[in-house]
Amino acid sequence: MNSGEKVAMRNYFESLPVYSEYFDEAIDAIIAAMDSGIRAEKGRVLLELGATNKDFWFLKDGFLKEMYRSPYSNEDSLFNMIPPSSIFVNEDTLFANRRPLHYFVAYTSVEILRLKEAEYQKLLQQYPILINLLYISGTAEIQRGRRERLNMLRMNKTPDRIVWVQQHRRELYQFMDRMTLAQYVGVSRASLYRAFEKNKKYQF
Amino acid sequence: MLSQKEVERLYYGLRSHINLQGEEEGQALRALSNEFILRNVNIGESLWDLDSEIGDLHFILEGTFAEYLKRGTHSFILRFYRPGKFAFSEDSLLYSNRSDTYSKALSKAKVAYLPSIHFQNVLRQGGLGVKLMKVLINLSMTEYRNTTYEMLQSSGTNRIHAALEQFPDLLHLIPRRELADYLGISRASLFRSLKEIGHE
Repeated sequence: MNSGEKVAMRNYFESLPVYSEYFDEAIDAIIAAMDSGIRAEKGRVLLELGATNKDFWFLKDGFLKEMYRSPYSNEDSLFNMIPPSSIFVNEDTLFANRRPLHYFVAYTSVEILRLKEAEYQKLLQQYPILINLLYISGTAEIQRGRRERLNMLRMNKTPDRIVWVQQHRRELYQFMDRMTLAQYVGVSRASLYRAFEKNKKYQF
Repeated sequence: MLSQKEVERLYYGLRSHINLQGEEEGQALRALSNEFILRNVNIGESLWDLDSEIGDLHFILEGTFAEYLKRGTHSFILRFYRPGKFAFSEDSLLYSNRSDTYSKALSKAKVAYLPSIHFQNVLRQGGLGVKLMKVLINLSMTEYRNTTYEMLQSSGTNRIHAALEQFPDLLHLIPRRELADYLGISRASLFRSLKEIGHE
């Protein structure tokens, strides 16, 4: 990895609530074990996260759409938007050893770093407590993000949901087109437009 | 105290989620199951309170619970806990913070709980404790994912269908006002959707 990639990774680890200088040696070892992964142009499906992939991926630059097949609609739907400086994984494969129900599409051009599963296992042997703590802290952050978003989706007024995205997911709000924003807040496009019209406040 | 049958149920509940390595971990898990304490809970009684700092881990043996989040003066349901599921305040158990949520029994219930101090001890010992923590986070993530699927349905009818798939007895558990809040739709929209699917 180049120095910019190393800095991005280190910044991510230092942002975790569990971080202290005590972790530095293990973090250096993780960064040394990571590789530059992939670059993808806007619109490309990340086939690298295939059915058996249990690697850990770090989105350094760009935005990813996390898609799933909704049983209630004929087309694939947006589950989540992943902003830069986020870890993402094939959750079904990693946690439950089953085929992934989600896949990832580059919303903009993206740069992604990777820690291979085999490397993770080696690091786990070497620093069992610290790597486990980082794993727990990383997954707990994903979980916290999901809970926050779920709370937003429970707001029964579309303008409230839009304000939440503006305040809590500012970088997404600035990048998402209206159709993606409507999907992200779980409303129809018509409802989103009505909310903008009603308040005379527009996204751009 | 838990009966032998309840300890077994708890042990297998834990074992179904934790990938045990070696006989030693199996024994440790059995010992951990014996640390749980039985509690009978009446309708409306809480498992944990708002602002509580006590991060006990509960395993639901009987009955149903709802976890509420307070926003301003209004509380709404974040999620449900049913038999065979773990229930805990994420704020206290995972982050050692005051709980932003509280949980109440929706029916007469029976739970086995591991006091916070025992949970922290198991966690400090590494091994099994770390595995348990990972499992609890993964279960929460999966549950939030499933509920997010529900909430991303833009039609009220589809949201009800998705919610009923997860909790078939949902319509009998909570009043319609709470159900509308849970689904993130207005009461009028809830009644229209229920009529559409033949429930009103």
